Amino acid sequence: MPKVVIDPVTRIEGHLRVTCQVEDGKVVDAWNHALMFRGFEIFMKDRDPRDAWQFAQRICGVCPTPHAHASTLATEHAMGYQAVPDNARIVRNMFEATHVGYDHILWFYHLNAFDYVNVPDVLNATPSGPALQGVQDQVKRVVDSGQLGPFAGHWWDHPEYRLPPELNLELTAHYLEAIKIQQIANDAQAFIGGRFPMVMSYIPGGMQERLEIEEILYYRHQMTLVKEFVDTVMLQDLLAIAPFHLDLAEQGAGVGNYLSWGLFDVESQVPEDRVLPRGFITGGNVGNVQQADLDQVKLFTANSYYDDQAGAGQHPLEVDPTPQFTELPPLDGEQLPQGKYDWTKAARYGDQNLPMEVGPLADILVAYGAGRPAVVDLVNSTLEAVGAAGKPEVLLSNLGRIAARVLRQKVNVDFALQWADELLDNYSKGDETVYEWRDVPESGEGNGGWNAPRGALAHYMRIENGRIGRYAAVPPTNWNLSPRDDQGVRGPLEQALIGVPVVDTEKPLEILRTVHTFDP
Amino acid sequence: MQVEESVVPGVSRRDFLKYCSWVAGMIGLGVGGTPRVASAIESIAKRPSVVYGSFQACTGCAIQLLQNREPGVANLILKTISLDYQDNVMAAAGDAAEEVWRQVTGQEGFFFVIEGSIPMGIPGAMTIHGRTAQEIILEAVPNAAGIIAYGSCAAYGNIQASNPNPTGAVGVQEFLAGELGADAPAVINLPRCPGHGDDIVVVLMSVLLTGKLPALDPKGRPLFLYGQTIHDSCFRRGHFEAGEFVEQFGDEHTKDDWCLYKVGCKGPYTYAPCGKALWNGNVSWCVHNAPCQGCAEQGFWDDLTPFYEQPRGGEFAWKVAPVETIGAVVGGATVLGLGAYAVAQNRRMKAAERSPSDAEPKRGGDV
Repeated sequence: MPKVVIDPVTRIEGHLRVTCQVEDGKVVDAWNHALMFRGFEIFMKDRDPRDAWQFAQRICGVCPTPHAHASTLATEHAMGYQAVPDNARIVRNMFEATHVGYDHILWFYHLNAFDYVNVPDVLNATPSGPALQGVQDQVKRVVDSGQLGPFAGHWWDHPEYRLPPELNLELTAHYLEAIKIQQIANDAQAFIGGRFPMVMSYIPGGMQERLEIEEILYYRHQMTLVKEFVDTVMLQDLLAIAPFHLDLAEQGAGVGNYLSWGLFDVESQVPEDRVLPRGFITGGNVGNVQQADLDQVKLFTANSYYDDQAGAGQHPLEVDPTPQFTELPPLDGEQLPQGKYDWTKAARYGDQNLPMEVGPLADILVAYGAGRPAVVDLVNSTLEAVGAAGKPEVLLSNLGRIAARVLRQKVNVDFALQWADELLDNYSKGDETVYEWRDVPESGEGNGGWNAPRGALAHYMRIENGRIGRYAAVPPTNWNLSPRDDQGVRGPLEQALIGVPVVDTEKPLEILRTVHTFDP
Repeated sequence: MQVEESVVPGVSRRDFLKYCSWVAGMIGLGVGGTPRVASAIESIAKRPSVVYGSFQACTGCAIQLLQNREPGVANLILKTISLDYQDNVMAAAGDAAEEVWRQVTGQEGFFFVIEGSIPMGIPGAMTIHGRTAQEIILEAVPNAAGIIAYGSCAAYGNIQASNPNPTGAVGVQEFLAGELGADAPAVINLPRCPGHGDDIVVVLMSVLLTGKLPALDPKGRPLFLYGQTIHDSCFRRGHFEAGEFVEQFGDEHTKDDWCLYKVGCKGPYTYAPCGKALWNGNVSWCVHNAPCQGCAEQGFWDDLTPFYEQPRGGEFAWKVAPVETIGAVVGGATVLGLGAYAVAQNRRMKAAERSPSDAEPKRGGDV
């Protein structure tokens, strides 16, 4: 039975390997291996709690802002804040709007598109106008130069590349345009936050500075441009690709449990009220959204490179973060992973230790199940457009994961301008407060849950003697790319890979596609 | 209308010269240097090969490079350089990607841009295709025409190396010096967290233009970029001189752009060109919205924290003492400010006194 390994998995954040066992042209078993460890929970210990968010946002340079946000929420919780000034709530939503704006575009075009868009095939297209002719000429010059750069060495001859040359050309043009659009979103983030990545202006208790009018107007301007691109290009591109790949709806179902900590606070600052609300779903039962609790999260390390003497299933703050690297599973040969095989700890939820899928699909399903009108309408119209009206279950798949990321972007840009209006409204009422001072307490414990673009993200902090006594982060990777837990239950990606067809084990494009649907 | 094309296919002569003028300005030649830059670029028949290796890192540096506006990411990748390996954007994966790596690093003359630190204590803390960062870098380095440590992780180990440095992380220069001793090639450090994408473009242009590495400060940073403090170029500087300080976030004076020194600004101790080139298409920089955290300085996570208090401790302790002494004796906020400034100036002089290194690139002839 052939073993298929992809290492490195490229077009992601970080370093990842997947190992699959393939039988009769299909994956029958799978393991994912995160291949990097840095030790945040160790070097954050004994720091000033107010500095935590600056450390935490370095966990992921692709999604630093949600890390900053979740970490700040955890610190505030531990410091005894019940809420932050309304202006801070709004400005944080603005940061997230720019961040989602850039991140989903980056994923759709720059990380994911090459799995479907055949760049060399662009040369076979008949351009419909001078702009596309220009793009074709550009690709031709690169190919003719023999210096293929980022396009070199890929499996472009794979039979699974199904799009016609003209669509490949158009999507290549959008790939180039999207570089500028993600910059437009990030410029707004930099303008209100100093720079991106690693914005500067969060602080436990609010934000460091009140936004000036010109900053708000600049944000409005940039997000209007992003919205225009999402409405007229990105959504259309999804609908253009989907008909060629409807079989993706039958692949990658995964574990069927979905968790969302919530995204975009409204005035109440209650997570269940968020635009994309907090909640979880089990067994694919979209109609039954249950209340989610950050303290119901447990981490398992039997198959992870950690020395957790306390044993199975601890609260994140109780897990010993001391690394214990053993060895990497062999790349070659028939031997499958045994013992510890992953730097990721396995996150599980509740008494039943359920693996949970997180990410845009989870966010959208929970919001859909909770009956949020903006999401319900959007999902229904999308299902109709792909010929699956009234069948939300087709979303529990690779196709659903791809579509949900675009729909989540649509929700984001539709709300983006509202945040600016709410802030201006507060200013006009004379409310310009952005920050409330509090001393760091001697002791305290807190958590913060938020949804990064790639999924539910939780941070946990315990304050001891006025310093960080324990810190823990449970990013989406701990859920989606969890290894098997102590009971041997696969993580969501490992489960989603089961049944994925592999036409050519030397060129496992379908496996790569499935991995990318999780935006790892 | 017929637009005159430049030597770069698809780029008008006008845009090309605009770009050359920007490069000339950034590398310190002034506008008068534009023709020199133009002729240097025009003489390049083959786009220079750039191999971007990512190790113990968060990918933030790569994302920052994607924000580049001059010459723009698409122009950069398709027209200016040949980005022969970059794992965040390249199409190939798995064995195919590994094959690309072996091909491009097997040929002499590429520029090796490195993101991320090297975990010496736990080599298994970062692997690609079953090989450790140490193995991969040591194998590639002999063929590199120049080595750029992009971002504070590659330069100094950065956050991974902060106390107690759980993985024994180090920067590229320290790693190579430990492995190769006197034979270690020169490394250009472009710190900051994240690294600034424009730094790479500017340094590559500088090397292509002059045929040698730029003069470096004692921390391995190009002096033409990292010769000034944040404080030197800060728009709040007037308030600093006037002794006008924000005392708490959100207070009435944050609106007036008063100085952020007392809420933790490390600008006087931080050598970086942020104020010159700004960030993200020149729209802003950190001190517009927050105190500088000193991310271009080695050890800032330990020596310049807490971030929201006046600097103290570590390597920077000697600077703080005289400041507070002067402040206590004279009792004036302005004097307190001036003390910090004098200390920073002193440091700057020291950096300049140590003569800039003028190392030749290993294989300058290939470029």
